[in-house]
Amino acid sequence: MRPGVEARGAEPAVIALRGAWKRFGARTALEPLDLDVRAGEVVALVGPNGAGKSTVLRILAGTIRPSGGTAAIGGRDVAAQGVEARRLLGYLPQRLGVPSTTVLRDLTALVAAVRAVPLADALARLADVGLGDRAGATLAQLSGGQRQRAMLALAALGRVEALLLDEPSISLDTEGAEDVRAEIRQARSRGTAVLFASHHLHDVARLADRILVMVDGRVAAQGTLPELAAAAGVSWSEVMAEAPIERIYRILVGRQRGGNAAPALTLLRGDAA
Amino acid sequence: MTAGSLLRFDFAAARRGRLVPLFAAGFALASLALALAGLSAGGVVVVQGFARTSVSLLQLVLWVVPLLGLVLGAVAGVECHELEFVAALPLSRRAIVVGRWAAWVVALGAALLVGLGAAGLVIGSLAGAADGLRYLALIGVALLLLSAALAIGLWIGVATGTRTRAVAVAIGAWAVLLVGTDLAAIAALAILPPGEAAWELSLLLVANPVDSARALGLGLFRADVLAGPTGAALRRVLGGWGAWALVAGLAAWTVGPLVLAGRRFARSDL
Repeated sequence: MRPGVEARGAEPAVIALRGAWKRFGARTALEPLDLDVRAGEVVALVGPNGAGKSTVLRILAGTIRPSGGTAAIGGRDVAAQGVEARRLLGYLPQRLGVPSTTVLRDLTALVAAVRAVPLADALARLADVGLGDRAGATLAQLSGGQRQRAMLALAALGRVEALLLDEPSISLDTEGAEDVRAEIRQARSRGTAVLFASHHLHDVARLADRILVMVDGRVAAQGTLPELAAAAGVSWSEVMAEAPIERIYRILVGRQRGGNAAPALTLLRGDAA
Repeated sequence: MTAGSLLRFDFAAARRGRLVPLFAAGFALASLALALAGLSAGGVVVVQGFARTSVSLLQLVLWVVPLLGLVLGAVAGVECHELEFVAALPLSRRAIVVGRWAAWVVALGAALLVGLGAAGLVIGSLAGAADGLRYLALIGVALLLLSAALAIGLWIGVATGTRTRAVAVAIGAWAVLLVGTDLAAIAALAILPPGEAAWELSLLLVANPVDSARALGLGLFRADVLAGPTGAALRRVLGGWGAWALVAGLAAWTVGPLVLAGRRFARSDL
């Protein structure tokens, strides 16, 4: 079986990759990957830059085409039934994804129209994230945090069944990052399948039901945090106040790259040496 | 509903720039200047009628409209690659391309109408309404040319992918369309025996949207004798159907590049 994570249980996967791989010129950005995320599940992609995390999300969002394999959202093939698949999908790209001169209200009106949400409800959603008085501003006029909150609110607008978030906490302050965590928790409670990529490992540890550690386009390790801890040889204690996620990550990434996973962080009590 | 929303979104972006009002004001000023340009023998400024003014205005249209359409279309085409968020919405890639084209046609078309319309009102009020309908038809020809130039520009922008390269290719295409095919026609006339190249020259005329617009515009004011060797060849080959062939050619120059741009964008990684 190809590396990847499959949803457990009989419930069909909302997000599904089957042997999806991607090559940009001579460089393979993603090796063949199987991945299932079911309704109400949160799966995180972690890994260094260039690991293939964004490639996975972009294939699922339909913004790049896989070199091979398939991607599906809610059972709709992203390539063959793109519009139907994207009707079930909310996607927050790593870059802005619209010209920065776009007025927030215009973008909100477009998203509301294509998702069949009344404009008043969509604007109320902006107000919920503290941007009620900024609808007339261009995206360039918003702060980085405001922009990220706005784009996340629009990505999750309507009855999306799958949410793909590429570095959702990037450029956010502590409060903004907490808003993102709240949005992901709300999405999970609504039964939305969430797949997100992040370098913020504490967010990953707090939010993800399962984690994929990716290195150089391959899955280095997968599973729940305790499973990853076991794979990394880090002892795991239920009584730990905070998971030693950075250490686990460093060991797993270092092992995949064949080097020494020299732990530079201060070890928490109970960590394996 | 989706197509309308996309058009409103792109139109809002197109009209927010300074280009549209500048284009409208520039065209209005240039049109009025041309209309007022004729000096009588006594040195008194008089307003020329629609017919003479329109033949002069046509030259302005043939130079400025394709340049603006090609360059702005190319930039709009490149910007399609920056729409990762929009492309992940339940919209087809072709709809995104057509939406941008339509938005710019509406925005620049409105500017063209304002510019040429303002001049038309002044000419009509001072020099009478004779040939006024033909003047309106000239505006229609300008709109057809704008539509074709924007579509070609979009194709260039989507295919090239970078702003600098797209604008360079668009300006090169403008030069070819403006003088390149005329040079080819002159060369053909010089090489071939008289009367031998009528079909080829007619095709050359239909194959070039700028030449098509030129022949149509001159034909409106019975000045088609000025349309040059390709225009003469067209009259000889197609007779009265020539105008419709030119209109069909301009429409094809809109539809064809739009289809190609849509296909190319649908296959592109963003």
